[in-house]
Amino acid sequence: MESAAIQTHGLTRRFGSLTAVEDVTLRVATGQFFGFLGPNGAGKSTTIKMLTGLLEPTAGTVEILGQPFGAGALALKRQIGVVPEGMALSGRLTAPEYLHFVGGMYGLDRATTHQRTEELLEFMQLAGETKKLVTDFSHGMQKKLALAAAVIHGPKVLFLDEPFEGVDAVAAGMLKSMLMGMIHRGATIFLTTHVLEIVERLCSHVAIISQGRLAANGSLEELRAGVASTLPGAQREQRLTLEQIFLSIVGAAGQQEAPQELSWLA
Amino acid sequence: MAGMMRSSSDGSADEAMHPATGGVLGAQARAQYAAMATLRWRMFVNSLRSNQGALELGARTFSFLVYASMGMALGTGAGVAAYFLVAGGEMRLFPVLFWVLAFIWQMVPVMLASFQEQFDLGILLRFPVRFGSYVLLYLVFGLWDISTILGGLCCLGIWFGIAAARPTLLLWATLVLALFAAFNILLVRAIFAWIERWLAQRKTREILGAVFMVAILAVQFLNPAIYGAKHGGRHGPPDPSAQLSAVKARYAPYLRQAEEIQSWLPPGLAARALVLETEQGPAWGSLGLLGIDSLVAFGVLALRLKSEYRGENLSVAPRRANPLQKPGKSLPSSEFVPAQLGEGYRQSLPATVAVVIEKEVRSLLRTLPLLYSIGAPLLLVLVFSTVFLKGGAAQASAFRLSLPLCLVYAQLGFTQILYNNLGAEGPAIQLYFLSPTPIRDIMLAKNLLHSVLFILVALLAGILSTLRLGVSDGAVIAATSAWLVFSLAANLTAGNIFSIKMAYRINPGRISRQRGSQANSLLSLLVQLGLLSVGAVVFAASWYVQRIWIAVPVFLCMAVAAGMVYLRGLRQVDAMANAARDKLIATLMKAV
Repeated sequence: MESAAIQTHGLTRRFGSLTAVEDVTLRVATGQFFGFLGPNGAGKSTTIKMLTGLLEPTAGTVEILGQPFGAGALALKRQIGVVPEGMALSGRLTAPEYLHFVGGMYGLDRATTHQRTEELLEFMQLAGETKKLVTDFSHGMQKKLALAAAVIHGPKVLFLDEPFEGVDAVAAGMLKSMLMGMIHRGATIFLTTHVLEIVERLCSHVAIISQGRLAANGSLEELRAGVASTLPGAQREQRLTLEQIFLSIVGAAGQQEAPQELSWLA
Repeated sequence: MAGMMRSSSDGSADEAMHPATGGVLGAQARAQYAAMATLRWRMFVNSLRSNQGALELGARTFSFLVYASMGMALGTGAGVAAYFLVAGGEMRLFPVLFWVLAFIWQMVPVMLASFQEQFDLGILLRFPVRFGSYVLLYLVFGLWDISTILGGLCCLGIWFGIAAARPTLLLWATLVLALFAAFNILLVRAIFAWIERWLAQRKTREILGAVFMVAILAVQFLNPAIYGAKHGGRHGPPDPSAQLSAVKARYAPYLRQAEEIQSWLPPGLAARALVLETEQGPAWGSLGLLGIDSLVAFGVLALRLKSEYRGENLSVAPRRANPLQKPGKSLPSSEFVPAQLGEGYRQSLPATVAVVIEKEVRSLLRTLPLLYSIGAPLLLVLVFSTVFLKGGAAQASAFRLSLPLCLVYAQLGFTQILYNNLGAEGPAIQLYFLSPTPIRDIMLAKNLLHSVLFILVALLAGILSTLRLGVSDGAVIAATSAWLVFSLAANLTAGNIFSIKMAYRINPGRISRQRGSQANSLLSLLVQLGLLSVGAVVFAASWYVQRIWIAVPVFLCMAVAAGMVYLRGLRQVDAMANAARDKLIATLMKAV
């Protein structure tokens, strides 16, 4: 059995009477590109926050690279990179200043930080914007910078919360190839996004969370087979897209409940 | 989607919309005011869901009562003064009353910049709000600030004083005071709006800084002249009556000129309108001029708000390179940063501490409210030192303690920066929890930088006070320095706790209209007052026994104790931050 890069047992988070994430047990093997899907409010960001030490679980445990992980696990934090919800950027710095700062925070020496900053800015096509403050960046540029900051220290495990949101097609293509390159070199990537095509193209394994509970977990083929087995005769033979799988697991009930038309809207 | 887009006759997209006619009091505008009022009310009610919200409400109520009490005291004083001036036939002294009132109205916001919070109406710009409505809301929502409470109660006091002394003046006094209040409300907002504009960009910030420095130097050059005249020269005999006569003789023409000029300025106009009413009947001319001044203040404010309303971007970024610019020409150099000073500090500090300091300096230089809250007290130190100067050398006791008093005030400017030291991070707070750097290192870096800044400002305030008032006693300087060390350590300790437990997000582009935390402001002010009280007691005791130097070892012992508490607190800061992590991140990620 492959070693686990990320492992959770009974991960639960409650906010007062609301249970945002309940009893989530996950295993992400080393070197996997793992997609974590769910509708809005399903508990994706809460889970990723617990996995990265930004939120204390109410119950359950998290292990990263085989070691228990929590807010105080500083040595482990060196091994992970995160693009969190909100991106964690310092608006009053320029892009190079911010990357220098992040490099320093992860304990990189100055020369390495400067060299990697230069390479990352070139790669992310931000090299022409080095005088601009981050607060003046477009949303897509901020996403690229957040991703650059998440990888500057060469993490073994990368958590990405909606990394492609607002990023143009050209840059998204480059980012995907960069992420695939990381996977080939043995890194593990945990990705949450609403763009199912990206997950379908990049991820080998997928988990779907719905109303705080894990609704499905496995390789794409396993999920496909699982959903297909519930379909009537002839439909079982067709190759299901991830969107069909996703809707089949979490979307159908919601669609039936929603009104079909807003008469006042053009 | 079978529905058709239905347009009403006035161009509204939907028949259910209020018609977009009728100006600032039209149906749509009224609906928007109602929506804003409801929004504010719901925000208030929802804030009470948490313990922090309840604490905020308590702090707000307490602050309001404190300011209202101050206003009542000032208003009563102003009312009594007005009564005696009118009843005693000394109305020619009314300008003094109005100038003092104008001074309070305009200076209080500067003095209390660190302790105020306001609602930012910038959120309205995405809605179809008319400019008139935007201005109206801006003025209405600003009415509950400290300066309006104090100034308004003073006006009310004067009104009562005049009414009691001469009821026939009641209607006229109402008109004059209402117009004078309107002028002050508009002027203080116009001043803040423009200062904010000028401080928002590097070039205008540098120009404003230069003007400020020139003003300080000009005051210093004026000082020896006044000092010399007042004391008959530094080597002259200290004869008070002779001094007064000499000053009167020398400055009488200037004073007459100043008196003439002030009578054309708003406080003078308001006073003249009242005086002339008692002598010749309604002074429509003075009242009209006061009205014009109010309109001008309104125009200056409206000019600024118009730019905001149009969606002005006060970015500090350099402009995009002109495509016609010759290739190879570099962009303007970056702002002053410590990296340009040298690398020495990096080698003497742990790498993570150094990197946080570097980032803090860069951010601080680009964060308006913090720069302003540090700089504004220095201006007030200048003003205060003038007050002591006017007291004369005969008031030796006040003179000797002017240095600590000036430094104490300069220290107040650090309240926001010390007690909310994570507030400017915004969403970047997440990085501190994601990175392998202990929060202790981050707090230590911030504390080190703030200490250096604190020492620099204290030195500057000390130099200003010395230039204005002369060199203090060695014992006073030593005792003040020792108290500052104690106070700094205590403030840093309390500041770290407040920053974690009661953080609020700072909008780096605004001085006023910050959505702050009244509880943080109030409690931090109380801690400061506690520290001041301790200092005052020790100073008073040593003063009483006529051995000020005794205060030095006492303060040093207290400083050592405070330092030990600080170190202990620093060791526990990670546990504290991790315990408060969820709330801290949620608070600092809130939109501003």
